[in-house]
Amino acid sequence: MNADYQYLVGKIQNALATDPRVNKLDVKVMIVGGRIHLIGHTATEERKAVIAQVVRETVPEMEVRNELNIISVAEPGQPEVISD
Amino acid sequence: MIRVAAIADVHFSEDSAGRLRQFWSHVHTQADVLLLAGDLTTHGERGQAQVLARELEVVEVPVIAVLGNHDYHSDAEHEVREELERSGVIVLEGETATVTIGGATFGVAGTKGFGGGFAGSSLTPFGEPEMKAFIYHTEALAAKLEENLSRLEADYRVALLHYSPIKETLAGERLEIFPFLGSYLLAEAADSAGADLILHGHAHHGQEKGVTARGIPVRNVALPVLNSAYAIYNLEKSERREVNREETMTEASLAR
Repeated sequence: MNADYQYLVGKIQNALATDPRVNKLDVKVMIVGGRIHLIGHTATEERKAVIAQVVRETVPEMEVRNELNIISVAEPGQPEVISD
Repeated sequence: MIRVAAIADVHFSEDSAGRLRQFWSHVHTQADVLLLAGDLTTHGERGQAQVLARELEVVEVPVIAVLGNHDYHSDAEHEVREELERSGVIVLEGETATVTIGGATFGVAGTKGFGGGFAGSSLTPFGEPEMKAFIYHTEALAAKLEENLSRLEADYRVALLHYSPIKETLAGERLEIFPFLGSYLLAEAADSAGADLILHGHAHHGQEKGVTARGIPVRNVALPVLNSAYAIYNLEKSERREVNREETMTEASLAR
């Protein structure tokens, strides 16, 4: 990875963790070919958009590819029996 | 048998109302108790806890929770706790709770826990004050967990954590951040005192299932791991174990 990109990844992750609009610690940030890729998951489309917005404000000169997935919440599966 | 529903890392915020209500409204048909293993809010503000508290109003079984690191971020964890307790949630930090379910007692020792890593590559209380403070915090919480589990008189005992006690349920997370995801000291405490189950969250990219060195089942119930509104664990006391215990006692008697 380009040395400057490494520092940018750190800067972006710091912004995502501390910006009160998102406070997100688990986004994988990759910079490839001059583009920022955001990989991982979040709860809603709105949160997904805000995450990308924070990144754009942090590094306005680069394109952001927002590849986050929305977490689907389903009914629980079958119970697991745990016996001593 | 006790039926335990559990979930962690719901990360509630002002936009979360209604997200889990439809599932939690019928948890009583599948479980006797609902446990929340921390990171209940995105950054620990009272308003976020209020949204979660309203969401939990539909739950018809006892709800027991610990907080997670996100719930501490705004230095208002006492406000988060207050809002949840106001709605009837039992919030634990270095504390225990016992409920009676169908004639059996179900006990929970709860703590957020903390990091430090795992045996072989763990932090030690050495060097700068900041480094020592980090691991002293974990040691203190683990010691309290052991003390509470040891004193917990219940038919079924569960350790409710946010940080992980073992590295197996972290598989999928980046190795570099393991020391910030949990500590073996939590597992050692539970193994020393004994428990039927350990629940935790925090590791969104981890695995659900693991086991401590002495065989206590560990379950990572982070929502992104489960992809469901909760998991259900039916805790049973095996008849075989009872028979073995009687046999052991008989053998002990004969030996005398």
